[in-house]
Amino acid sequence: MLEIKELSVSYDSVQAVSGISFVAETGKITTVIGANGAGKTTLLRTISGLIAPKSGGISWNGSEIQGLRPENIVRAGIAQAPEGHAVIAELTVEENIRMGALFRLRKNRDDVRAAIAEMYELFPRLAERKNQKAGTLSGGERQMLAISRALVSRPQLLLLDEPSLGLAPLIVEQIIQTVSALCRETGLTVLLVEQNANTALEVADHGVLLALGKVVASMPAAQLRADESLRAAYLGY
Amino acid sequence: MQTFLNAFFTGGSRGAIYALVALGLVLVWRGAGLINFAQMGQAMFSAYVASTLIAQGKNYWIAFIAALVVGAVLGAAIDILVIRPLKKKSGSAILNSPSMREAIPVIASLGILGILQALAGMIWAGDERGFPAPVSTSAISLGGKSAPFTPFDLFVIGTVFAILLATSLFLSKTSVGLAMRASALNSEVARLSGIRTRSIRTLGWVISGAVASIAGLFITPATNIAPNSLDLILIVGFAACVIGGLDSLMGSVLGGFILGFTTSFIGVYDVPEDIFIAIFAMLILVMLFRPQGIFGSKAGRRV
Repeated sequence: MLEIKELSVSYDSVQAVSGISFVAETGKITTVIGANGAGKTTLLRTISGLIAPKSGGISWNGSEIQGLRPENIVRAGIAQAPEGHAVIAELTVEENIRMGALFRLRKNRDDVRAAIAEMYELFPRLAERKNQKAGTLSGGERQMLAISRALVSRPQLLLLDEPSLGLAPLIVEQIIQTVSALCRETGLTVLLVEQNANTALEVADHGVLLALGKVVASMPAAQLRADESLRAAYLGY
Repeated sequence: MQTFLNAFFTGGSRGAIYALVALGLVLVWRGAGLINFAQMGQAMFSAYVASTLIAQGKNYWIAFIAALVVGAVLGAAIDILVIRPLKKKSGSAILNSPSMREAIPVIASLGILGILQALAGMIWAGDERGFPAPVSTSAISLGGKSAPFTPFDLFVIGTVFAILLATSLFLSKTSVGLAMRASALNSEVARLSGIRTRSIRTLGWVISGAVASIAGLFITPATNIAPNSLDLILIVGFAACVIGGLDSLMGSVLGGFILGFTTSFIGVYDVPEDIFIAIFAMLILVMLFRPQGIFGSKAGRRV
């Protein structure tokens, strides 16, 4: 279980996240939605250790993880597929996936090999392109690769930052469905940050609505989806 | 013909040395984003250590390995003791500006060069001393005629090719090599993948220091070591990187060979005084028409 407690983050003098609290239950999909600038990406980058919080805490399975380095957060079982389908364009598809498992290689070589094979099963299109440079992939394929790179570390918690950004609805649907199936089958916990609230709330169990760095609503996804006044006020549809 | 072949082999062996210097610079550049001006200071220091060992009657190869270790340890020490602490944010807004944050480590590397030269001057009292070659440096004779190359030329070229091959296999085939490439290309994604980019960067400094030391040992049989004797080689190595493309390992190595042949042919067919004019002319032409370097890939370049 991931627990965010009174978390505040600021860049220089700008407060991006101010005192937010919520819980992401184990084995569930929690989605954080909100308009541009609501603090969603800042929140994820703080959880994955790229940014240090100003105050507040992040507790993961009972231990405090705020302020740890990203490379140690990954070792604690939290992997992030960052915003903008971030993969390393100059490396091949296979190298990008292997990269996510390098830190486990010495202890568990066989499992790493198995995990890489599983990624190709999950996203067969990546298997067809495994020796191509990641820079030659389409946006959807890059997102699949970013997710594979995160999953190959066998995380317990997957942080997804705007997987739908710039992708065709059909591909978004396919990627989201794959992740949600994985969540149901393996008990993976997912924290999904999305601007595309409708798609996210469709698959999520719990929804957290952020606006200007504060939690406006935190309730079951179905309930959030049905609340027309919240939708109209904060999501504009 | 004989003159041409002589110039050709001298150029090859000189180019091989420049290529090593360039390789050392690129390894640090790609990992840490700075041109390490202290590099040939590290090489000078390890060449002095090696020559001291040889003066004490030790075997060439023991001195060779000692030089490698000294170069590598100096590399690690510079990164851990100087460059890492400089990455911390300071209280001053000017020092925290992006351009200053890039410039500060470079200036620090110049300072380290000064310290290493001063230390070498104090320890070895500025002795100019030679350093032997493991094989003969005079031309061998083939059927009564003297061949256009010396055994030492062949030794240098062979060793350098072995080092280049080993480095490229290490980077492309091993897990640590993948971690190094990933950290250099996108350190944020690398860290999110669990790669300890700080240690990987230090490893880059270590390999660079060792490679530079070899370059230093290969130059010293031709020119005596003095605290500042390798300064010019650094400039040529840097020019090789810029001509070949700082982001490209192979580009920089080829840049080294291009400069090796250029300087050698100019030295033979023209006058040696023109060598530096030629190097800077090439540098200017490349900067004008292909600023990312002949083999460089990135469109933008911070200099």
